[in-house]
Amino acid sequence: MPSSSVSWAAKVFAVTRKDIMAEFRTRYAINSILMFALVTLTVISVALGISTPDSDLMAALFWVILFFAAMSGLAQIFIREEESGTALILKLSTDGLVIFFGKLIFNLLLLAILSILIVPLFIILLKVNPQNWTIFLIGLVLGDIGLAGATTIIAAIVAKATVKGTLFTVLSFPILLPLLLAVIEITKVAFGGGGFGDISLSLQVLIPYDVVMITISVMLFDFVWRQ
Amino acid sequence: MWWKILIFAAMSAVIVAAFMTHSPMNPNKSLGNAEVYRIFYFHVPQAWVAALAFVISMIFSIQFLRTRNMDYDTKAVLAAKLGLVFSILATVTGSIFARMTWGEFWNWSEIREVSIFILLIIYGAYFALRSALPNAETKATLSAVLSILFAVSAVFLIFILPRLYADYSQHPSDSVVDSEGQITMGSTVAIIFFTSLAVFTALFGWIYSLSLRLARVANKNLPGN
Amino acid sequence: MLKLEIDKLAKWFGPRKIFEDINLNLEFGQSAAIIGPNGSGKTTLLRLIMGLSYPTSGNIIFSENGNKLDFEQYRKKMALVSPYLSLYDALTGFENLQFFAKVDGRLKSRDEFESLLNKVGLAGRGDDFVGAYSTGMKQRLKYAVALLKEPTIFLIDEPSANLDESGKQIVWELIRSRKENSILIIATNEKEEYSLAEQFCKLGS
Repeated sequence: MPSSSVSWAAKVFAVTRKDIMAEFRTRYAINSILMFALVTLTVISVALGISTPDSDLMAALFWVILFFAAMSGLAQIFIREEESGTALILKLSTDGLVIFFGKLIFNLLLLAILSILIVPLFIILLKVNPQNWTIFLIGLVLGDIGLAGATTIIAAIVAKATVKGTLFTVLSFPILLPLLLAVIEITKVAFGGGGFGDISLSLQVLIPYDVVMITISVMLFDFVWRQ
Repeated sequence: MWWKILIFAAMSAVIVAAFMTHSPMNPNKSLGNAEVYRIFYFHVPQAWVAALAFVISMIFSIQFLRTRNMDYDTKAVLAAKLGLVFSILATVTGSIFARMTWGEFWNWSEIREVSIFILLIIYGAYFALRSALPNAETKATLSAVLSILFAVSAVFLIFILPRLYADYSQHPSDSVVDSEGQITMGSTVAIIFFTSLAVFTALFGWIYSLSLRLARVANKNLPGN
Repeated sequence: MLKLEIDKLAKWFGPRKIFEDINLNLEFGQSAAIIGPNGSGKTTLLRLIMGLSYPTSGNIIFSENGNKLDFEQYRKKMALVSPYLSLYDALTGFENLQFFAKVDGRLKSRDEFESLLNKVGLAGRGDDFVGAYSTGMKQRLKYAVALLKEPTIFLIDEPSANLDESGKQIVWELIRSRKENSILIIATNEKEEYSLAEQFCKLGS
């Protein structure tokens, strides 16, 4: 059997598919992420009560919820491999990059599910109405890509450590800070009103960020994965 | 040996000069007591060294990944430790200044305060990772990768933070380089400041080389090194 | 011609010496047994050979026709069976095989998976979740996964761990038939397995 009969993309999707199947049967990560987001949203909603803070604050809160929900679940794909002992055979079975992209896509799917569920709830519970949906969605998509893209390698790093939970958040925060700042600015414009001119500066940070962080992660991933 | 004396002498000279000469700030332009601005001679060099240490640590991290020589890991950690110390110093002196002039110890919309705080968090995260990895090889490799990731993120922050906080900055910006890029300090101030900068850097280098020798001797006692 | 050269290999973890002055030369078709009491570093040596750990001093070099192979190149030829290796409990036997085949770039039919399972004595168990397998069954599945690759570098840590008598026979037969098409290295404490290999590497003296 020639071993090039499976394309690189097919290998990547095989990894993603395997993670989806395992996740579907055990549901560790998705439950964690959804519950965390729901609880945080509820706490914020209850805490705000009847007061309606301005749209800038809402934009920040939206990403606070997404950030912490992501922190509660995105490291699972690597932690699970280490803890169940399957990391070893995975390392020997395929190229590091296949693993990296396979799991990156998986995390992106998790974030997509999270976003789809949280956005309507956020709008309803907190009575926010995005003035400009296109801008909001641009921010959401690019933000999710950045979240997944920048934290996949961190998840791989944390999987080898002894105190995984809080470490993932601690390590991810400085890495994600540029992303959060830029994407909150975009969401502020989406909520409060404004045009594409207002977000161009943030996009000039966000798009290079997504590209650079994924590129750097690709370059460094093998060092982490092979340890 | 002579340069140790030189550092000692220069540092003493800087401290004395900082207090004996006129305050670097024009009393008409300063908020609060112009005397407080003397801290500028110490605070800015500390922040500079903190940032320098970060860069040095990252360079050693890259070298470790390229050569797998544990000596580079030792060097990287050392630079990070010293960087942390100077970051704390810079944060504290900055905070004192903030209290004296603007009335509060901390202000989140002040970009330089945010920057030094982030640097502190980065150092903290770096050491948190290291302490969570028992295996020396893994520790060195993963913290080196983290170092590089932080550096990339820091580059983005350097571009994004000023844009976001430009309107809010109360940080004295005209005292060193004005909007045309000319150095605006009076010559006395300039001499003291740049001497201080040089002395702090030399101090960093001296502590660093001492600690490095110490660390290498400690490592030597472990066979296999 | 595939070759493995281990030259004056030493490994220390900090102040603790695991082993030193390990030398081994294997060519395609040759085999070696790493023997020694528990804790003597057999697993560590295998990890070094696999490239998942780095020597403190000395060299481990895989080469083909005189050209040194890097990790990505020899990884493709290599398979491992080990107590430290786990398969995916949440997937069935078939799903595990499908995954590992695909991700290694191989297309295999269900029939081929079936015959592989037969070979290791797991006939008809392909649709059960691996989480429900006994440890003996898991061990057999590990061999099935390893054989997917048709490995030319075959590393086996404790070949008969968790296996009953019939399992051992199956596995020893598999090893014997694979030997001539690979560089085989087994790490074992079982005297009966010493004869599976020609050369020896003794640890923990």
